[in-house]
Amino acid sequence: MRIYIYIIGLLLFSSSYAQENQTTFGLFPEASLSYKLLKNYSITHKFESQHGFYDSENLNKELEYEHTLTDLQTFIGRRITPFIKVDIGYQYRIEEGENTHRTIQQVSILQRESHFRIGHRVRIDQTFFNKASLLFRARYRIKGQIPLQGESLDNGENYLSISNELIYMIQSGEDDLENRLTAALGFYIDDKNKFEIGLDYRTDDFLVKDRFRHRIWLKFGYYKTL
Amino acid sequence: MSYYLRLLFIIFSVTYGVAQEKNEIEKRVKKDEIPNQAKEWLEDAFEQERRTKWYYQTDGEKQGYEAKLKQNKHLHSVEFDMEGKVENIEIKIKEDEIKEEAYQTIFDYFKSNYIRYSLKKIQIQYTGESDDLKDLIDEGEIENLVINYEIEYYGKTDKDNTLWEGLFDADGRLIEKRYVNLKLTDNLDY
Repeated sequence: MRIYIYIIGLLLFSSSYAQENQTTFGLFPEASLSYKLLKNYSITHKFESQHGFYDSENLNKELEYEHTLTDLQTFIGRRITPFIKVDIGYQYRIEEGENTHRTIQQVSILQRESHFRIGHRVRIDQTFFNKASLLFRARYRIKGQIPLQGESLDNGENYLSISNELIYMIQSGEDDLENRLTAALGFYIDDKNKFEIGLDYRTDDFLVKDRFRHRIWLKFGYYKTL
Repeated sequence: MSYYLRLLFIIFSVTYGVAQEKNEIEKRVKKDEIPNQAKEWLEDAFEQERRTKWYYQTDGEKQGYEAKLKQNKHLHSVEFDMEGKVENIEIKIKEDEIKEEAYQTIFDYFKSNYIRYSLKKIQIQYTGESDDLKDLIDEGEIENLVINYEIEYYGKTDKDNTLWEGLFDADGRLIEKRYVNLKLTDNLDY
């Protein structure tokens, strides 16, 4: 029930801005595959792709499909303690105009509470362009996972997943902020198979004068571990 | 000299339990599904009506019901068998609430076995007959009860970096320990 309240809240909040600012809507499938390499080391491959269907400023204002971008990522992670993990990663982005390379470094911290758990993620990344200078970003994400049946998550149960991420970015001396709020319903098939479906609401251009952008994605992701 | 003797004593008195995995399943259940015997015992012992959450739990072999409620700001978990007979009570406590006779031995165990450790959750566990467990709750009397400490802790050794659940007796000696399998964090990390 709670998830519907969040989704409605998100839609109401965003629609009030929609007329004055740029708003886009689309589909956002993602999938990740993780496996152990050695003791304490693991590899994760992730695919994510954005497909726009509506854009208040651009070409596809009348519900035209547009492939926005596709990211292919690979991470090598090392578990420092049962609660702390560090990762380095690489991303190749396929996008119209120019495909880019990105290097990523992150620390993830697991916080357990009696009824839910929280993942904190601190990440920095560097994006390399052919014709533009380096884009540097620093980001923090907090993501909560709340079981909807019982105190802990057992196979076949559902959970609520809520996250917010704040991103600071700087390129050629100009900086900006982006915020990403998501609310999703999670299906815990078992520990190695999880599916999440929900809304991802992104706002950016906070620090750019006379411009503010909203993007709403219907996101669905599969998390697989071997 | 006495320090070394004590250290030797501790090392030899430590029981190395077979390392097993902890894999429990619990599900929230409605009050109507709970055997009357269990509900009556709880009302008798805790006297006042309290907000109680009921769970069914199993570790694959043993199954039973568990009631979770608060008294004196402490979380109580009361375990019952499938017929509703009370089996034990676990009370969540803080480090400084471990009884004096156990405290030193428990911490000597951590200090001598791990390079680094941190305690995540401590529960004092009382096991005994139904009437004696009731006396513990309504009169604070500890008679004919077996006292153990269930401690979830993180311990780092040269080889290992693990979350454990250790069971210590009333004198603080380790009875057994098992791995705590943390759920994967792939959906929180990426």
